[in-house]
Amino acid sequence: MNSRTPLILLLTSLLAYGLLIGPFTTYMRNKPLEEKLGYVPSIKLLKLFCADQKELVGASLVMKVLMYFGGVAGKQQVVNVIAEAPDYQGMSRLLHGAVQLDPYNMDAYYFAQSFLTWDVKQYKLANELLDYGMKYRTWDWYLPFFAGFNSAYFIKDYKKAVVYYKRAGELSGQDLHKSLAGRYMLESGQTEFAIAYLSAMEKGERNLSVKKNYQIRLKAFREVHRIELSRDNFLKSGGALPVNLNKLINSGLLTPAPIDPYGGTFYLEPDGKVVTTSKFAFGGKK
Amino acid sequence: MLNIIQITLKGIFRDRVFQGIMALAVLFLFIPSVASLSMRQVTELSITLSLSLISFILLLLAVFLGATSLWKDMERRYTFSVLSLPISRSSYLMGRFLGLTLFLILTSAVLGTVACLVIKIASGIYPSERPIVWAYLVLAIVFATIKYILLVAVALLLSTVSTSLFLPIFGTISTFLASGVTQQVYEYTHSQEATHAVSPFSKYIASLVYYLLPNLAGFDLNVNAIYSIAPNLPGLGLTIAYFIVYTVILMGLASLLFGLREMK
Repeated sequence: MNSRTPLILLLTSLLAYGLLIGPFTTYMRNKPLEEKLGYVPSIKLLKLFCADQKELVGASLVMKVLMYFGGVAGKQQVVNVIAEAPDYQGMSRLLHGAVQLDPYNMDAYYFAQSFLTWDVKQYKLANELLDYGMKYRTWDWYLPFFAGFNSAYFIKDYKKAVVYYKRAGELSGQDLHKSLAGRYMLESGQTEFAIAYLSAMEKGERNLSVKKNYQIRLKAFREVHRIELSRDNFLKSGGALPVNLNKLINSGLLTPAPIDPYGGTFYLEPDGKVVTTSKFAFGGKK
Repeated sequence: MLNIIQITLKGIFRDRVFQGIMALAVLFLFIPSVASLSMRQVTELSITLSLSLISFILLLLAVFLGATSLWKDMERRYTFSVLSLPISRSSYLMGRFLGLTLFLILTSAVLGTVACLVIKIASGIYPSERPIVWAYLVLAIVFATIKYILLVAVALLLSTVSTSLFLPIFGTISTFLASGVTQQVYEYTHSQEATHAVSPFSKYIASLVYYLLPNLAGFDLNVNAIYSIAPNLPGLGLTIAYFIVYTVILMGLASLLFGLREMK
């Protein structure tokens, strides 16, 4: 090897790099977004090896779930179709792991609440997680507020909802929660409360994907509420429930015609309950 | 001994370790942006990231400075010329330890100040629902510092008996990892659920390891700083007492072993 060889090697490799970097960048840009949550070691193992970085590891697990969900939700909201359902089970596993590492991590409870209830319908699991969080975040009124909403709206356990809302009221100092508890006991105006709850969640949300998710759900529930109001007006004036939505539209009580942002079609069940073919989820349409 | 402390500090600065730390500290600038990805706890995440970065830098310093300081002197045969002066081996060792300790304190003070500024900025952009208690943050940094001072003592102890660099470095890292979990293992082996699952012998060994290894979990006040939870003051007093006693034991043992060591 003579003295010029290293220089020739360097120049050749720089030239090769210049030629390679373009195609390589294009390849990387077009590569399908890795939307897998990936492998995460058992939380027990993580707990042993993350030493004094438990809070950091917990926060990074939450971020991993958020990034993953952001990618999946972004696709759903653009094309309104779901190629592959988000791995809710994996998301739940990671968030449960995150709170084992850092039981104070609010992001984990907040995000778990957002999908465990509306999307996965695991209301009891959501409330168990919130109960766990309440043991640590003893000052936080959000957790009993969420649990109260789940108990009343989804589980229909009004006694439990009252207990949670009372606690939320004590912690926040707001009478609103107590009045909510009272209204829930009457088991009326469910859609209105869902709208109130979703509006509050949407307003305080900073993550764009999750915020957009709330906005879409809110839009759907506002449409449901509009249909419910016109249905009630129809009942008052005609003395009977409308057979279908067309009756309401044709009678002029429901204009414009309701649109399900999830791509489904609203219809009335025989008892007058407003439902949609999308089941309030992208890809839920049959 | 003061001369040894001075020489230790000068040596660290001459090796441009401080410049290296400052280069790593550039990461603090990104903390507000990264923390803003959080949904509900931007300030809390900025504190988490700041404390983690400080802890990581201090860990690197404790392991590498603690493990290489004495070894380098012996490898380069500086110890022969130093110990030919009217200075005892113990004073030399203590001088090295105190020099490293001072450097860790200085680094913590600088990084802690930067961290406070970063957290102030992050909390100004996205105010937290729970106010920051700065005293808890300072306490967390102080306790992280004394934890790594104890680790320096572990590294020096291992350096006094080792002829290579591997034992001080990997021994210190292993001690650090093990000492963070001894409390959990001890609690599990002494719990009701472990009564049938763990044999009395294993329980005895776990207890022995628990008492022998330093318990670094007690120095972790991150949760208190991040979520503004009041720490247990008598507990902090006990932790400081534990630190003093354990460090004196380590340094006493290190002096003894260093005194007995044959140097050719």
